[in-house]
Amino acid sequence: MTGRAEELAAWQQELARAGYIAEPGLVAALLLMQELQRPLLLEGDAGVGKTEVAKVLAALRHTRLIRLQCYEGLYAHAAMYEWNYQRQLLAIKLLEHDERGMAQKEQDIFSERYLLKRPLLEAITCEQPPVLLIDEVDRADEAFEAYLLELLSDFQLSIPELGTVQATSRPLVIITSNGTRELSDALRRRCLYQYIDYPDYDKELAIVRARAPEVPALLARQIVAFVQGARRLELQKKPGIAETLDWTAALLRLDISVIEKDGAERIMQTLGTLIKTRDDHVTLTREVVARLAAAC
Amino acid sequence: MNEAASLDELASTRLAQFPIFLHANGFSVGAGDGMQVLRVASQVGVLDPDMLRWSLRALLCGRAEEWRRFDKLFDAWFLPANQWQRPEKLDTHKGFLSGEQPLGPPSARERDDETLEEIRPRQAASRQARESSTDFRELMQREHLLEVEALVRRFARQLRYIRLRREARARHGRRLDLPGTIRRSVASGGTPFQLQWKDRRRVRPRLVLLIDVSRSMVQYSFFYLRLARALAAEMPDVHSYIFHTHITSVSQALNDPDPARAQERLHVLAEGWAGGTRIGESLAQFNREHAARIVNSRTGVVILSDGYDTGEPAVLAGTLAQLQRRARRLVWLNPLMNQPGYEPISQGMQAALPHLDLLAPAGDLDSLKAVLPRLIEALG
Repeated sequence: MTGRAEELAAWQQELARAGYIAEPGLVAALLLMQELQRPLLLEGDAGVGKTEVAKVLAALRHTRLIRLQCYEGLYAHAAMYEWNYQRQLLAIKLLEHDERGMAQKEQDIFSERYLLKRPLLEAITCEQPPVLLIDEVDRADEAFEAYLLELLSDFQLSIPELGTVQATSRPLVIITSNGTRELSDALRRRCLYQYIDYPDYDKELAIVRARAPEVPALLARQIVAFVQGARRLELQKKPGIAETLDWTAALLRLDISVIEKDGAERIMQTLGTLIKTRDDHVTLTREVVARLAAAC
Repeated sequence: MNEAASLDELASTRLAQFPIFLHANGFSVGAGDGMQVLRVASQVGVLDPDMLRWSLRALLCGRAEEWRRFDKLFDAWFLPANQWQRPEKLDTHKGFLSGEQPLGPPSARERDDETLEEIRPRQAASRQARESSTDFRELMQREHLLEVEALVRRFARQLRYIRLRREARARHGRRLDLPGTIRRSVASGGTPFQLQWKDRRRVRPRLVLLIDVSRSMVQYSFFYLRLARALAAEMPDVHSYIFHTHITSVSQALNDPDPARAQERLHVLAEGWAGGTRIGESLAQFNREHAARIVNSRTGVVILSDGYDTGEPAVLAGTLAQLQRRARRLVWLNPLMNQPGYEPISQGMQAALPHLDLLAPAGDLDSLKAVLPRLIEALG
């Protein structure tokens, strides 16, 4: 059992070295998904680092990251495969005076040469098991989700003209969702689940340290305290980790080395990196900023 | 050695029963997950409680709400010896270990600093929140139910044909499906004799129902919940919430295919049912906690309330303005408008009026029928 704990600690360190600070719970889930070969469903607010998990996992395993960005109206073909119609058309013209029989020609035209692999097909035909990131699955509709389920259970795809394509390797599947639509229970049950919350003070500080090592220690602590304070306000769009890092860069750019109560004016100039809606800008008046700064 | 074996057996029974326990607590897991649990346990070992916790949490949780409750349930099942009980004695009906939304005391921070107040709403401070829960049995009674369902089916069918304006405008030109056309042309040697057109995608609006269940609405709220249940059965994208002094999602409870269990779940959610009303603060809570996920530019938000608000009218006006900006349409159905001589002069209604796309009566089935065309027009 200690072996397991050591493995977890090792992974956590590896992740940290790659720039991703993960809670042990998340690391345990990552280990489990590799052992059980099950997809991992990540939920959480925007900007808490869901997509980043897939990227860092691919980097750690030295494998490819294949990303499928879901959107409203995404249909299965765009995600799986398409025929290269233009090339097929040319081929048909060229084959017009060919002596071969019809069936032969057809076989030629619908061969793999004319197949355009889209992310899902690509992911199951890689030599090395890649990391397949299905991003924001809640944006696609239920029909697509059903297709996805089929793929994730059998790891095979059928192309009518070509036959069934078996997976040559099982990809590690990471699915993210922002929760704009309730996902089906079938999908949830097939996946391991991890909810990622906004980081607490220590974790966020570690992230800032890892991602922006040039920031002086005092400033880093202040930045994190300020952002944590801002998240407690009633904001429409709470700043995520990406915003914290952007803001850090902005402060560095303006040579602000310490957050002070009197410096509210200068802080206000950089808030565009942290606060992304007009209402939230109204909420964060100079007084509020000064108070947050004083609390740092 | 015998002892060790029996301990092993005991442990695996305990592990295998864990999903059943979770199921009794409203998790969507089944007894079939017992095998998975044992497999994971043998993989990660049972001696490190944290490791087991993290692994089982990843395995058995399916949604954020379950995620938040998991730790407590895990502790209750595995950790303290005094909670050890024979699994078959487990009463599934009293399985709600974690009361929904514990009423914590208002935090100290709230008092000394207004702007830094906790994100959680001040449920404990509600003026008239009542502990007692109201009987929902009426929700499932058959009288009216058929009629409501027939009406709702018609409503849903009509909604199905609403296309958002964007698509409606595109009607003037069909769009060519180029890959499809070329695919067809293969049959004729590459000459496109037959054209393939793109399917016109219909985008159905999402519906969000915010149902007032305060005391003044008590005659109507049952009816509206029936409506919500029927509507959710007919359309895929309906989200229902009830509010009085705070707001709670009831979509999952209403969608439960087992009517008895739906009733059970609503019971738990209805804490404070038929108490006072604070529409403004409830809606503000909705904006804060749910709107970002639920409400988008093709969402019709329907508020079902009489507009009697004990909160500040300014709060209501502000939150409605915010909601209107986020949503496609904001509709208020008021049951009192059926009464002759009713004018929307209550402070709440006065504050709300400027931000509504439609204010209509909906006191009974007939008025609901009458309002349907206008509602569809407003939502489309």
